Amino acid sequence: MVVDRREEVLPVAPAHVHEAGDAAGAPIRQSSLWRDAKRRYMRNKAAVVAASIFFVVLAYCIIVPIVSPYDPDAVNFQDRFLPPSLEHPFGTDGFGRDLFTRVALGGRISIAIGFSATLAILIIGLTYGSISGFVGGWLDNGMMRFLDALYGLPYLPFAIIVTQFFHEVNFWVMVLALSIASWFTAARIVRGQIITLKQNDYVRAATAVGARWYRVLGRHLVPNTLGVLIIAIFLELPGVILGEAFLSFIGLGINPPDASWGSMAQEGRDVYRTHPNLILIPSLAIATLVLCANFIADGLRDALDPRTKET
Amino acid sequence: MTAFIIRRVVWTIPVICFVVLMTFLLMRQIEGNPFRRTERAVPPQVQANLERKFNLDKPAAVQYLLYLKGVFTLDFGPSLVLRDRTVNDIMREHFPVSIKLGLLAFFWALIIGLPAGIIAALKPNSIYDYVLMLFSNVGFALPSFLVATVLIYYAALKWDLVPTNGWPSGTWALDSRVLLPSIALGFVPMAYFARLVRGTMLETLQQDYVRTARAKGLRYRRIVGLHVLRNSLIPVVTASGPLLGYIITGSFVIEFIFSIPGIGRYHVQSVNNRDYSVVMGITVLLAIIIIIANLIVDILYGFLDPRTREARS
Amino acid sequence: MYKYRRPISWPLSQFLTGQPRPFALIIAIAVVVSLTAGCRRDPAPAATTSGSTRIQRGGEIVVSLRAEPRSFNRFVARDTGTALFGQLTQSKLIRINQVTQDLEPWLAESWDVKGTTVTFHLRPDGRWTNGDPVTAADFEYSWKRTLDPALAADYAYQLYGIKGAAEYNGCTGGPAQCNKLRDKVAVKAVDDRTLRLELTSAQPWFIQQASHHSFLAVHKATVEKYGAKWTEPQNIVTDGPFMLESWEHESTITLVKNPNWRDADSVSLERVEGKIIVDGTTRVQSFEAGEIDALDGAGLPPEEIDRLKEEPYYEQYAALGNFYYGFNTKNLDLDTRKALSLAINRKVITDNITKAGQVPATGMTPKGMPGFDQINPNSPWLPVEGDVEQAKSMLPASAPKTIGLFYNDAPGNKEIAVAVQDMWKELGIETTIKSQEWAQFLEFLGPPPNKAVDVFRLGWVYDFVDAINGLELFTCDSGNNNTNWCNKDFDALVEQAKNETDTNARYELYAQMEDIMFGENGEVPITPIYWYTYPNLENDAVRDTFFISPLDQIDFTKVVVKGT
Repeated sequence: MVVDRREEVLPVAPAHVHEAGDAAGAPIRQSSLWRDAKRRYMRNKAAVVAASIFFVVLAYCIIVPIVSPYDPDAVNFQDRFLPPSLEHPFGTDGFGRDLFTRVALGGRISIAIGFSATLAILIIGLTYGSISGFVGGWLDNGMMRFLDALYGLPYLPFAIIVTQFFHEVNFWVMVLALSIASWFTAARIVRGQIITLKQNDYVRAATAVGARWYRVLGRHLVPNTLGVLIIAIFLELPGVILGEAFLSFIGLGINPPDASWGSMAQEGRDVYRTHPNLILIPSLAIATLVLCANFIADGLRDALDPRTKET
Repeated sequence: MTAFIIRRVVWTIPVICFVVLMTFLLMRQIEGNPFRRTERAVPPQVQANLERKFNLDKPAAVQYLLYLKGVFTLDFGPSLVLRDRTVNDIMREHFPVSIKLGLLAFFWALIIGLPAGIIAALKPNSIYDYVLMLFSNVGFALPSFLVATVLIYYAALKWDLVPTNGWPSGTWALDSRVLLPSIALGFVPMAYFARLVRGTMLETLQQDYVRTARAKGLRYRRIVGLHVLRNSLIPVVTASGPLLGYIITGSFVIEFIFSIPGIGRYHVQSVNNRDYSVVMGITVLLAIIIIIANLIVDILYGFLDPRTREARS
Repeated sequence: MYKYRRPISWPLSQFLTGQPRPFALIIAIAVVVSLTAGCRRDPAPAATTSGSTRIQRGGEIVVSLRAEPRSFNRFVARDTGTALFGQLTQSKLIRINQVTQDLEPWLAESWDVKGTTVTFHLRPDGRWTNGDPVTAADFEYSWKRTLDPALAADYAYQLYGIKGAAEYNGCTGGPAQCNKLRDKVAVKAVDDRTLRLELTSAQPWFIQQASHHSFLAVHKATVEKYGAKWTEPQNIVTDGPFMLESWEHESTITLVKNPNWRDADSVSLERVEGKIIVDGTTRVQSFEAGEIDALDGAGLPPEEIDRLKEEPYYEQYAALGNFYYGFNTKNLDLDTRKALSLAINRKVITDNITKAGQVPATGMTPKGMPGFDQINPNSPWLPVEGDVEQAKSMLPASAPKTIGLFYNDAPGNKEIAVAVQDMWKELGIETTIKSQEWAQFLEFLGPPPNKAVDVFRLGWVYDFVDAINGLELFTCDSGNNNTNWCNKDFDALVEQAKNETDTNARYELYAQMEDIMFGENGEVPITPIYWYTYPNLENDAVRDTFFISPLDQIDFTKVVVKGT
């Protein structure tokens, strides 16, 4: 992805991109990369729908627990296992707690874990990959060999070991467990990007002009990987969310009374024949989030991909 | 090419040492007494006897070296928890089960995923495309325990087509019990292949040489069969490596729900039981498999894609 | 996915008409093969394969097992799976009548107890499956082997009541030294049919304990010939009512009737097939699909019990076991403990969460234990429906505002913890509940328990039918006392009971022990919540005779399949 930074070096007005429907004589609006991207993104219907659904889900998770009349933790055995109704749009669970509220709360935790773990993956991957790619030479070689070795570690047992390292499974332990064995590909991608970008002329020009290595890295290389990274966030998100559901299923989920969608689905599995809503709704919520993330990633990739940039 | 292979094979040895070291260190770090299975406390004498028997009273470095020696002589030692069986026995009995399950899942992924992706690519933006891609995306997003539960509910309980759990014994045996688990496990690879093939085929179909071939008047089927498919399947081959790894190592949930005596379930149970030797043995085994799978994929890639061949020579 | 620019629709019809090409043919074949593979019949049950999915009539039963038996080698194995099958394949000296809890002669046709000397007289007609007679020498060999430190048997300590046993088991020297100690172990085969032991003290319950599965005998020649592999189906030699036919690890175990067993005519079952199903939901599913005849009492998913209780195939058995919350007495003072204990509404828990007829606990020793009426303190601190008012008034100002409750992640524990969390909220206490995986949990509890632990969940299933088995857990030195509670008077009473041969006097001592723990001036180191039951599913064909004893054992010699 090329960012046009020529204006830094040469005092010449950059090339303009005309907005569709410019009236003759109207001032020409300078378009930036992000505006182009946004416009291209909007063309992809599926991605737009996905993004809207995503925001709706986010809003649901944030707002509902605040306005809900039910206490999500109150144990109330008379109201257990009620089917969906007007008072309880999703029904109640085995303790009589309103499912609509709990799914929203669970969503907060699931989404928060999802994004945090993804960010952790990317930060670790970014650091590792950029050091390796930028320095090059034997350090790069060594770090990549080490990465190959790390690929050999099996994901699940290490996630389990990590959770048992600590005395309880809380939010940060989950984030650690989910990210610790998943950052390898991100590091590889970043390293690949950095190496490709290093060859570019503008980097050589910048170094020739006298820019220090940290300026080159910070000003040129990293922002150009940013687009790839944003896409990578939405590509990693499904894996992390499903991983969290998976760990909850084994019993290594968040401790009560907090719940995530994964732990709610696991609880619901025991009664799936008589009360299927308890497993279906959290699982479908997970699936929805994953689907949206996939489509958003596709849309972003089209939006930010220079190969499809029009003049 | 041979140099490349030899170099990779030699490289696996330090990787194995590293994997054993990481596993060893981490397993030692988590608390837990492998000899205490129930609430009953283990009397100190018994505990001492057990530790002596399994070399746990020796210093950590010595234990690590003993394990390493065991790994390279392919003797992984006895299980701490299942006293009558050695880790080799366990692997010999359960690993083929997981392989069979994985291969069957892979089979479904190929049988259903590939054609779906191909059809979707040949008729882009049509109803086939949308429907198939919808299934693919949804399949990718559903958690595997949900898929398994739904499948059991309908196929086994409601319509009584297959048993709810179990697995045929014997290496080559197949009966109806393999259907549900392999489909449930193959769901994600199925979806993945469909999307992948569709994407690469579309990309290839845009290429100039395809248009040239069409313009030349070559029959449509020949074009697709000869040129397009072969080039599109290369990414499928490369994706198969890690996917096979995913299937074999990620089968725990399916094995648990369907009571399949596979290695995935064993692996997780051993971590929970603090059965150090079994954990070590299975981890090393899986690491070797992943490395071999990646190696094979790299080699195949070298054969299939002439560009890499040239680059290397 | 790469985004194409100009869609060109390749006519699919062109692709499908015309001569079949290899590619299409391959796909077609594959599809047909996969469909027919699905239609393949289940293999007919043969003598050496498992995998029957329908119930067999004619004296065969399919049972689900909760876990793979660790071993048939009862020297080392401790789990209920091994215990179950060990009993089938080996004869005990003494059997406990499952209904009356009386002792019945089994392999030992009589026994004498004189002070600390116990003598067993064996039946003459015990036979191993290879024809050898069962002799007292087998027992002497087996018990001494259990104590061998090299074998590192988990259950060796069950034999410590025998003089010289503990010393031999703790031997750290070489073979020469340890063999000397072995010869000092006071178990002697006086002749082929007489076995004499010297105990360390009177231990009135020793005879009871001898029915425990670590006291079984193994065939000396087989063990010496095959070493660790003697339990494999092709090698194993047993002397019980059933024989091992096949064992596919983690999958199925099959036993067949031993026709040469001395009492073979009284055994109705021809075949017992055990399917190992670890997951509770899968078990229930499998039963309701008609694939198994009965569960092994492993427990049903709590949320399903409501529905299952209405079904005719639901059964419930009394159990000798206790579910309790223990306190870290270093962190919580007496009044706090009393208040916390008062606030728990046990009935709500047993009615709404566990729902299998469990009995809210009013003391440590469960109902069904002989002497219960005399022993049970009917504790004022364990009110069945809880007493929040009194709890609130009892709670001292110095009580902590937040306490940590730890439990292991097994089905049901989480729900109970959540309910109790809610109950203690009414006292104004915030409870943080933390679940841990089993091995880690046990380490965490020590003893002594980790500082962070204020309350923990544990259970206890009795090994034999005597209240001492549960009460002695709480002596100062006990490895199972995770409460930091130590009371010298209590310990003294335990010692006294170990030597008291008069049953009623013993019960009196037990009552005093319970009083120290839960009486008016009790110290409440733990708060028992309920006494277990074993809910089970059994289908119509076996329900009448299938029975799970309070010690979680099933006697398959008594099970009859209807219609056979």
